Amino acid sequence: MDLISLYPTWYEPTVGSGWVVALIATFHVLASHTSVGAALLFAYLSHKAYREDREDLLDFVKKYGLFLLVFTYVAGSITGPGIWYSTTVASPNGIGALIHSFVWKWATEWVFFVIEVVGVYMIVYLVGRVDKKTHMKISVIFGLASLATMVIIVGILSFMMLPGKEQWFTEGGYLNGFYGTNTFIQLGMRVAFMFTMTAVVGGIVVAGIKDPAFKKEMARKLGWLGIISTLIGAAMFQWYLTSVPDQALLVMENRLPDYFIPSIVAVLAGTLAYFIITMLQPKTLVTGFAGFMSVTILVAGLWPEETARESMRKPWVAGQYVYSNQVIGRDVPGMSIKSQLPTIEKVGILKAHPFTPAELKEVNDQNMIQAGEFIAMVYCSNCHSPSKTGIRPLYRYFPDGITQERMEKYVKGVLTTGNIAYMPKMPMLDSEVKALSAYLVMNKEGGQDAVVAAIKQEVENRNRALAEKQAADKVAALTLPQEVK
Amino acid sequence: MDASQVAQVTEMMYALRNPAGVPTYPIIFIGLGVLTFALHILFVQLMLGTSAITLFGAFSQNFYWRRLGAAMLEIAKVSVSVAIVIGVAPLLFVQVVYDPHWYTSNVLSAQWVIGFIVILILAYWAMYFYYFQNSKNADKTVQPKSRWSMILSLILMLTVGFIMHSLTSAILHPELWKEWYMQNGVLDYSGSKLHAYNIWRFAFFISLAIPVTGGMLVTYRRFKSVREDADHDYLNWAADLGKKWIKVGSVISAILYVAWMMTLPETAGDFATSFWGIAGGIAVIFYALWAMIRLRGEARFCSYMALPMALVVGLVVAISREMLRYGILNDFFHYDFMDYKVVMDWYSTGLFFLTFAIVGGVVLSYFLTVAWKTGQTVGVYTPSATVDRLGTIAIWIVAIWMVQFFVVGFYIWAQ
Repeated sequence: MDLISLYPTWYEPTVGSGWVVALIATFHVLASHTSVGAALLFAYLSHKAYREDREDLLDFVKKYGLFLLVFTYVAGSITGPGIWYSTTVASPNGIGALIHSFVWKWATEWVFFVIEVVGVYMIVYLVGRVDKKTHMKISVIFGLASLATMVIIVGILSFMMLPGKEQWFTEGGYLNGFYGTNTFIQLGMRVAFMFTMTAVVGGIVVAGIKDPAFKKEMARKLGWLGIISTLIGAAMFQWYLTSVPDQALLVMENRLPDYFIPSIVAVLAGTLAYFIITMLQPKTLVTGFAGFMSVTILVAGLWPEETARESMRKPWVAGQYVYSNQVIGRDVPGMSIKSQLPTIEKVGILKAHPFTPAELKEVNDQNMIQAGEFIAMVYCSNCHSPSKTGIRPLYRYFPDGITQERMEKYVKGVLTTGNIAYMPKMPMLDSEVKALSAYLVMNKEGGQDAVVAAIKQEVENRNRALAEKQAADKVAALTLPQEVK
Repeated sequence: MDASQVAQVTEMMYALRNPAGVPTYPIIFIGLGVLTFALHILFVQLMLGTSAITLFGAFSQNFYWRRLGAAMLEIAKVSVSVAIVIGVAPLLFVQVVYDPHWYTSNVLSAQWVIGFIVILILAYWAMYFYYFQNSKNADKTVQPKSRWSMILSLILMLTVGFIMHSLTSAILHPELWKEWYMQNGVLDYSGSKLHAYNIWRFAFFISLAIPVTGGMLVTYRRFKSVREDADHDYLNWAADLGKKWIKVGSVISAILYVAWMMTLPETAGDFATSFWGIAGGIAVIFYALWAMIRLRGEARFCSYMALPMALVVGLVVAISREMLRYGILNDFFHYDFMDYKVVMDWYSTGLFFLTFAIVGGVVLSYFLTVAWKTGQTVGVYTPSATVDRLGTIAIWIVAIWMVQFFVVGFYIWAQ
């Protein structure tokens, strides 16, 4: 059997499927991290309210909880599975690798997730309906359960960068895949930044507090929480960089946009300044300012951080064995997983792909551009958009006036051999090299419109040839009896 | 389809399997998938039914209907959350053993898959908007404001339901996947189409909202009737309405079930007349018969059984649905989920079941006991010593879980 586990390709021409995943993931990170941090904050405040018999703290918990319920639990609980959905359509083998190794871990997280969702309703709606001690107990369970969801998911996120321990490749095993240096450092970093987000988003609720003394108290509490967690998070980020593969650092140095480092530094400095200002002058803390800061952190802080984490994994998308283009590019003896590259080298990508239409299995003059487009969609489109917009558009990588011959040399010499460190090895038969090159040249010179027109022509030619053949067969069938006679 | 075409489809499905295999016996994932789907769809139906009552109440001049509409909105809000959170589980399990099918159907309708997320968020926010527009008004008999948002919410909820129905239906047609990918000679990478549906199947699952919500109304009366401030006339009216909904709704659902069975694809063979094909429809009718016998009069115990019985009915239907999938994919296309490569991992398997049973069991027992008692108490609820101790035990259990996570982790790391 020469078929490999490749699915159809989803191509989103405007921003690219990778950015759709990143958008949903970034939004989810803001919602989920804020929620987990807030859950722990609620546990602390509820405990304090019980010890000191204070209604105002519980009232704050109720207001912040209701705010979170509507804006982060609703959106967070939907964008969580939403990441599954988006990665399913953008990177089915990437998510499949994680699901098949960590299904029980996700199922375990789900138990805590159920507790969390029931818990948040109780935290909000039982303020004043149950005694303070009971509310405190519910809050503590809620906080711990929320933290459990975080510690579980971080192990899976770490595996996306690299398996916990090198032994996973030879011995397999969930524990070897899950636990590693990167797991624990990333966990520390995320916990720190989650408190930063909790403190920033919490400012929206503090802004609405009428009592100046209480507002000052809460602004200071959140301010200190934010300052300490931001500083720890920034230090943890530096430490985190020591736990990623050298390849990832190389990508970071060469491929990340210029705005990445300045953006991260600016948002960290801005966040610290924001906390200091609101602690010194709580009256400056108004809903608009706090809301603006929340959006700023999302856009200027989380977005570059999450997209960097995505980019740094290249050429892999999961576990350093699934390429970003969905092909398995490495043997994993511990899991009896075989690299799919030898199969592709033997039969070509068109014959190895289960969804290649019969018309495109063999490259010829009547399907050259369409077969080339198919290969580009499979091999390239996850990281390079075939359109003018979207993620790293293909046309930008080639000089004007590039010839078919030069393109073929590039494809064969660089892509099929895997000579670019952060790009997958992409085996192709000579005929496939020719088809991909023809497509890339046309994409460069005429853009998508020219490609669509060429494919339309190819389809018409094929249909005409088929019709002529059918007509000839019919004539042959009609004339045969006379000859027999 | 001839044998060679079927063989090609079979080969394609097996090729698409994830080479990492699965960490325990596949039947366990199917079992959990069926169980959690039954729970998920119960809350989906509750959410739809209670939303419909909220809407009807909002447009009704009858004060009882308006009160009931406001009360059911509270159930609808929580039901959406619970439906989403429980729905994560069957979504997880289906992609473990039916990954070739689920991933293909999703990619081929990718825009709708992404749309699902956005539409569901909007649906939920529309419901909350309606809630916040009316929640401050203590008088629940006045005409509510912003009724359009509740209409919008219900329409959007039905839309996401249809998207999910279509994706699930596409799983059952592996013979058409390549046709859907290439139409008229041109490959469709856009994922802009929903490719498969069976309107009777969709209508059947939606219609079950009627008897399930009927069960909810009966339970609502029983739960609220013990409060000191209970309005028994209103509650009895709600329970009578619920009993009617169970009877009429079950008949409607059973008719739609038959329609679904009569419109199954040829690849399903004689499933409609098989044991599980018949059992799904019988279960629905059984719910009406059970309600007629056991919910007569006060029914103080059985009123609390109305929703668990709906779950049992849903479970039978979920098994029928799963058997239909197995029948098509295994019997016709020779794809057997049971022969998925198993790379056994006892630790993670054991950890899940222990967490599910012990952590989930104890914590949710505590949470639901407190919620239940609070709902029946006028004023502030203070738990008994036993319930309070249960809370302490729950804290310890979650804390111990956290400790084991780090102890095991550091041990593995240090090795």
